[in-house]
Amino acid sequence: MRKYALLVLVVVLLGVFSLTAAQDEITLEFWGGWTGPDGAIMQELVDRYSAENPNVNVNLTIQAWSPLFDAFIAAASAGESPDIMAMHPQETAMFINLGLIGPVDDIVANSSVFVEENYVPKAWELQFYNGQMYAFPFDLGVHGLFYNVALFEEAGIAAPPSNAEELLEAARLLTKDANGNHPGDEGFDPANIVQYAINMHTNHHAFYQWYALYNQLGGQLLSEDGTQCAMDIDKATRAWQWLQDLVYVNYAAPQGQTDYARDFIAGRTAMLVDGPWQIPALQAAAAESGFRWASAPYPTIFDQPAVWGSGHNFTLPTNADPEKRDEAIAFIEWLAENSFSWLASGQLPIRQDIIASPEFAELEGRQSFVDMLANQKLLPNIPKFSEIFASNAPTPMMVMAQRILLEQADVRSTVQTACDEITAILSIP
Amino acid sequence: MRILPRNATTYAVQAAAAPRRQFPTALLFVLPYLILFVLFRLGPSLAGLAIGFTNWQAVGTPQWIGFRNFEAMGRDPRLGEAFRNTVGFTGVIVPLLVVLSLALAIFLNRPYRGRALGRVAVFMPFVVMSTVVGVLWTWILDKDFGLLNVYLSGVGIANIPWLVSERYAMWGVILTTVWWTVGYNMVLFLAGLQDIPGELYEAARIDGAGAVGLFRFVTLPMLAPTTFLVIMLTIINSFQIFDQVYVMTSGGPGTATLTLVQYIYTTSFQFQKFGYGSAVTVILFLMLVFVAFFQIRAYRRGLQGVE
Repeated sequence: MRKYALLVLVVVLLGVFSLTAAQDEITLEFWGGWTGPDGAIMQELVDRYSAENPNVNVNLTIQAWSPLFDAFIAAASAGESPDIMAMHPQETAMFINLGLIGPVDDIVANSSVFVEENYVPKAWELQFYNGQMYAFPFDLGVHGLFYNVALFEEAGIAAPPSNAEELLEAARLLTKDANGNHPGDEGFDPANIVQYAINMHTNHHAFYQWYALYNQLGGQLLSEDGTQCAMDIDKATRAWQWLQDLVYVNYAAPQGQTDYARDFIAGRTAMLVDGPWQIPALQAAAAESGFRWASAPYPTIFDQPAVWGSGHNFTLPTNADPEKRDEAIAFIEWLAENSFSWLASGQLPIRQDIIASPEFAELEGRQSFVDMLANQKLLPNIPKFSEIFASNAPTPMMVMAQRILLEQADVRSTVQTACDEITAILSIP
Repeated sequence: MRILPRNATTYAVQAAAAPRRQFPTALLFVLPYLILFVLFRLGPSLAGLAIGFTNWQAVGTPQWIGFRNFEAMGRDPRLGEAFRNTVGFTGVIVPLLVVLSLALAIFLNRPYRGRALGRVAVFMPFVVMSTVVGVLWTWILDKDFGLLNVYLSGVGIANIPWLVSERYAMWGVILTTVWWTVGYNMVLFLAGLQDIPGELYEAARIDGAGAVGLFRFVTLPMLAPTTFLVIMLTIINSFQIFDQVYVMTSGGPGTATLTLVQYIYTTSFQFQKFGYGSAVTVILFLMLVFVAFFQIRAYRRGLQGVE
């Protein structure tokens, strides 16, 4: 045993010395929350960059977004920020407010890669806060409607639903119990449903969907000055009621669902509302078992099209080593130039030339998502974002969503409670 | 969060009995631990106490705001929910864990083949990392395809929405915690059982005691110190429950499994209100001191009663 311990020690020491010897090589610390298959795609990009630039070594650290942000704050307070921090546009205000990320206007002004005309306007606008640009855009994502082609054919539905009426009609045909009865049929047994029409999120995507529907009604969430909840309780109630009824009245969606992609691929639900990041999993299922899927734009249930969305961007932490800043910018520009490879993750392109390219047109299932980008609604980018919207905390939005969808709580009073809680949070300076 | 017991009293008694001149040597022995303790436990704890009186956001300079954080607790309904959930969890799990681990210890203290294997099987979960436990039990408790519901459907119990309903979520966490930590309590009880002299049982049998009598008049009184230790540790650990909740439910659905430490974590790290989070921690600390104080007093009284 002792011999081995000595050996290990020697190896470790050698490792340490070789590290210090290679000091002229720059290591960029790059943090992101891509814990799905997208993480592997990002790692490939990072490896390619490191191979093309022998003097730069990019160290990609991946963990789930929420703990990643915790770590970022802790590291920043210790003066040890990563050189590049990935996040979502709606989260930047939080970190700007804490002084952890700085503006990038000057860099963009001198960049040949980050040129406004080359980007989808939305992707560009989202990087601004109080008139200053704080992040480099990378991709966007929106909810869309995936559907099981075989189940649609079996039910005799020609096209994916695009409005409330079509969705409810398709839902009736696609939901069936063990005896093959549909909701509304005589003898339909709601306790014995074997196939549902559509999924229903019980996590944060539940209130993302509500946010889309609320926007379809023209609703506004916060007051212009961001100091209080400005919810139109009637509209907010209508939007939630539609979602709650899909589960408890129309039997179109399962109650308390836990794994949306799994249920969709297994044919337990015929449709799946989710983001384009599900595409790789669906393609894998298609290759493995011949699963047939297609995508359609998020349906317009109410007055005007609107869909929840988000995206990824890159920020430069203020506490990072200033000597590595130029290398960090060069890497971010390289990622932007090579962002076509990133599309394998399912995320949507934001560069006009990629969207117009024949290579992109060949990618499966993306177009209906890209078509909806103009109607993308992001959650408000405010300093107290996580207190109101965090997905893994009892925030007003999470509690409201879960009470309504899991406990069948009274919608109006639950919405009112959430609105009061939001105002209480925002009123504290 | 788990805290391993430090049998501090025992060591302190022995140390006091040792001659004074051995003190420097003894100090050298505990120094490595002491340094780590001061650096990673005592230091941060004292800092936390101070931060509780500020409005620090982890970055920037903390501002001294006196008792404002403590006053704000009175107006925080989420904190009330977290407190009620924690007390409820503790109230259920302490009797459950104590009785179950004692029963397992007695069962696994008998001489029969495979006893060692049984002990290892019961203790094993305790060495598993909390995150792994959380992920594992999230699968086991899955409403649609979870292992537990598959078995339950075999005996005619339909799909229980373990982690996706406010009514059952805490029970899911309790089940997980029992599986995870019962082995640890069992080991403590096993040690206690093995300390009971066999003569006592022999004498009691001669006096005509049956199995119930032996348990009631020999095992239970002789185990009192161990039972006290187990109860105290379990209460303290239960009050600090965090890992399982964090991994499995994040305090949800709604606020059904929001516990005090989960809330402290959420407010501090996710909402960047480290001042407020630290203030709640101070209150939690005082509550635990209070519990420990009364338990020790009750224990002393009990001992006097025996004598």
